[in-house]
Amino acid sequence: MTAVDARQVQGSSAPAGVAGQPQGTGRSVVVGAMLLLLLAPFVPLVLASLAEGYFFPQVLPDRWSTRAWRIVLDPSGRTWSALVDTVTIGVAVMVLSLVVAIPAGRVLGTRRFRGKRVVELVLLTPVLVPAVAVAIGIHVVFLRLGLAGGIPGVVLAHLIPATPYVILLSAGVFANADLELEAQARSLGASWWRTRLHVTLPLVAPGLAVAALFGFLVSWGQYVLTLVIGGGRVVTLPILLFATASGGDASVTAATALFHSLPAVVLLVATTRVLGGQGFATFGGTR
Amino acid sequence: MPHRIRAVVPLLLVALTATACSFTAAPGSDGAEGAEVDPSEWNDVVAAADGATLDLHMWGGSTEINRFVDEVYGPRLAELGITLSRVPLADTADAVNAVLGELEAGRSSGGSVDLIWINGDNFATMRQAEALLIGWAEELPNAELVDWDDPAVAFDAGLAVEGAESPWGSAQFQFVHDTARTGETHLPRSYAELADWIVANPGRFTYPAPPAFHGTRFLKQWFYELSGGPDAWVGSFDEDAYAEAAAPLWALLDDLRPHLWRGGETYPGDIADLDQLFANGEVDLTFTLLPAGIGANIDAGTLPATARPFVFDTGTIADHHYLAIPVNAGDPAAAMVFADLVLDPDLQAAKLDPAGGWGDGLAIASDRVDAAQAAAVGDIVDDLGETAVDQERLAAVRLPDSLGALTRALDQDWDRFIRQRQPRS
Amino acid sequence: MMGRTSTVVTHLRRTLRHESVRTWGPLAPALGLVVVLFGGAVGLALLRSLGLLAGGTGAGPSLDAYRRLIADPEFGRSLLLTLHVAVTSTVLAIVLGIGAALLLRRLVRGRQPATTLFQLNLPLPHVVGAVAILALLGQSGLLSRVAAQTGMIEGPASFPALVFDPYAIGIIVQYVWKEVPFIGIVALAILRSTGDELEEAARTLGASPWQRLRHVILPLLLPGVLSAVVIVFAFTFGTFEVPLLLGRSFPAVLPVLAHQRYTDVDLAARPEAMAISVVITVLVLAVVLAGSVLARRTIRQEAR
Repeated sequence: MTAVDARQVQGSSAPAGVAGQPQGTGRSVVVGAMLLLLLAPFVPLVLASLAEGYFFPQVLPDRWSTRAWRIVLDPSGRTWSALVDTVTIGVAVMVLSLVVAIPAGRVLGTRRFRGKRVVELVLLTPVLVPAVAVAIGIHVVFLRLGLAGGIPGVVLAHLIPATPYVILLSAGVFANADLELEAQARSLGASWWRTRLHVTLPLVAPGLAVAALFGFLVSWGQYVLTLVIGGGRVVTLPILLFATASGGDASVTAATALFHSLPAVVLLVATTRVLGGQGFATFGGTR
Repeated sequence: MPHRIRAVVPLLLVALTATACSFTAAPGSDGAEGAEVDPSEWNDVVAAADGATLDLHMWGGSTEINRFVDEVYGPRLAELGITLSRVPLADTADAVNAVLGELEAGRSSGGSVDLIWINGDNFATMRQAEALLIGWAEELPNAELVDWDDPAVAFDAGLAVEGAESPWGSAQFQFVHDTARTGETHLPRSYAELADWIVANPGRFTYPAPPAFHGTRFLKQWFYELSGGPDAWVGSFDEDAYAEAAAPLWALLDDLRPHLWRGGETYPGDIADLDQLFANGEVDLTFTLLPAGIGANIDAGTLPATARPFVFDTGTIADHHYLAIPVNAGDPAAAMVFADLVLDPDLQAAKLDPAGGWGDGLAIASDRVDAAQAAAVGDIVDDLGETAVDQERLAAVRLPDSLGALTRALDQDWDRFIRQRQPRS
Repeated sequence: MMGRTSTVVTHLRRTLRHESVRTWGPLAPALGLVVVLFGGAVGLALLRSLGLLAGGTGAGPSLDAYRRLIADPEFGRSLLLTLHVAVTSTVLAIVLGIGAALLLRRLVRGRQPATTLFQLNLPLPHVVGAVAILALLGQSGLLSRVAAQTGMIEGPASFPALVFDPYAIGIIVQYVWKEVPFIGIVALAILRSTGDELEEAARTLGASPWQRLRHVILPLLLPGVLSAVVIVFAFTFGTFEVPLLLGRSFPAVLPVLAHQRYTDVDLAARPEAMAISVVITVLVLAVVLAGSVLARRTIRQEAR
């Protein structure tokens, strides 16, 4: 029961066009409608972000305005510092989780041993247990250790949900990599380090990059762990967005929400390019 | 109430000793000198605050207020070497909880909260837990502009302030209607009339769920009107008398429930949600606390241009709101500098002005500032126009806030009887 | 001296080469991190829910916090609401997600861009999704406005209550909106890697489309999709920010209730918050375990 069955998902980038299937326009229409439904929630955000006094029953705004975007993009405003904090935390989480995930992923992906299923289960539980429970459980200890209310504490907290994903994805990467090549390189006299650097790394780098990206995105969307452990002092984009949404300015809220989505969308398009059209299919959803 | 003050003195001494101890032990979390912050040695305080990051925990539900704090106070603090970190709260109680939680966990210094925007029952809770620095507010240089002899300043919801919080501004509850929808003549002018109005306009009224500040205020005024006014609820809190007096309120709210927005099945979480419902025409009334009116909200586009405030003939609650420093604040010096800064007459006037400010009432006495500053305030008040209630009218219907215990009782009972619909015995 | 050192080194090498070290050594940091941070968090919540370790307010060991919860009608209603939200969202997400995958894989024209668009909201934070759903489905949201402009409704109040509603429709829509692509992409990946040949084989053997779906496609999808479903269930059961933005003030889902109790000005409510955390954790893990046992049994039967 590996929740993200990384191997299955990983080994899927081969295009599988099936010839000879009847291609109804009906299917295209249904797919089109489905995609429209999935994109529909962005429409009111875009409209509201470009409006002023956008009240019921306006569909298109009576007054178009860049006010909300000017506020959100204001260089001295809170958005940019929130972006910096979110990226800082995300990168730290990504790097740290990768550091523990690579050795663990290699073992899980390439070796059979007693207790492997138990290990997989143990690694999976933090993904399943609600973040609220984790957050209020560690909060007091973090307070005592002086970790609450600062970025290091938030990074540690984000590692809890991020690391399991990165490990399980890395396991899939190693399982699919042709590590026979390592042995061949060693037998040809390459040193351990040379083998790792010139043989193993190129084999697993693209997959590990995706796993790392996943770790980043888990951190990128975290709300409740940041809220409780950061104590309001660590203002990441989700925290800022939530605070803005409670502030009652629908236009600024909409612009902040779109600003918060953009990097994720850019990453999606980038991975799609790199991985030949599969994009996030390589690793499924993010939390 | 001299006997009450006398009763407070021994408590005060105990609290003083306790805070003095933690005072000396407090190292600044951001490198500022936290030890021995004595506001009477103001230059030392300013020097100690230089380089600090001030964690100001405040309710974040108003775009205009947030903007003013960030854009007006922020740069002024930066000139003094203080970085302002405004922590937006959904509810002030979150900061109270954070401080109490830190103290429980043994963090008696270097805490994460430097300054809290506070009043009423939250202030009472923190005082009771001895979680606030005391005796500093009246020592601030600008404290001489504050009329500390005015009981409306010196007592916060019936509890003596004792220098444990410094006033930031003043507020008075008002209702807001939209002239494009509801004409002046159709407005309720008392809670009795409001009850009829709700029945006559089904689905067109709701209020933020207590303990959201505006929701609690709304409820408390209704309680006043049904129970013979605020005078019965000063001094000590009589639980039985309260329960008896509150019963008709719960019965009435029960009867009115089906006529509320969404049939009283759910309530907006905060005033910002109610404002949005109002602006989108889902309900016909909202509330404000701003004595200088809603001009800033209209400018920001959170309320429609045709919105106007009004008050009930039976009165609305007015009070001050304050800034308080937790005993374990990491940067008490920076907190004091901020509390002093906001009392600056020019900044008080700027805050009052709906154009560029947020329409909040003054914390300082107009007769204690110089002539030019008083004239500036006078000009702003004269220019308020239709987006504010006439200031004399406001003053005429002013009611005091009541004991924290009453506030807590109303919040709890509303939660049980109205929100959860538990049966009343 | 030299001899002894080399013996030690050889011994060390031998130990390092030992199977269990080579297995458990690299796993140690990962397991350590999970056990210390996560295990610590859950363990502390458990201890504090029993009134232990809580400086000041804890009078434990006692089950008072749990007793108070059971006696609290709000807890029961929250539990029911949370289960309703999680089960409904998960079921809808499975059905629609698999349906979407079946549609997408046979798309000849524009399959690549369609698949990319399909995944667009996967990396989006849930707060963004909640804000967007509110702007779309609220009584003064975009749909309601369109309905008003076309004369279908008179005012916001005549638009059906889809957010802050008793059935948590807004919350469920947000989850389904977010999780359909997740399930869909997992299913699509499985189908693409193996599905076509098997289905082709079934077709040559004369299986009808329904038979192919029932006996080839679904059994093929089952193991992988079930793993995804477990994650979806756990997530929809445990998330906090979406119900906070889209849910009613009462009853609140359990994670919101836990947070409310934790941030109550009265610190005496904290053991209850911990108890709710423990209940959520146990419930999620129990459902996941039951689900995986059931899944393995089903898979075995299918294989027969």
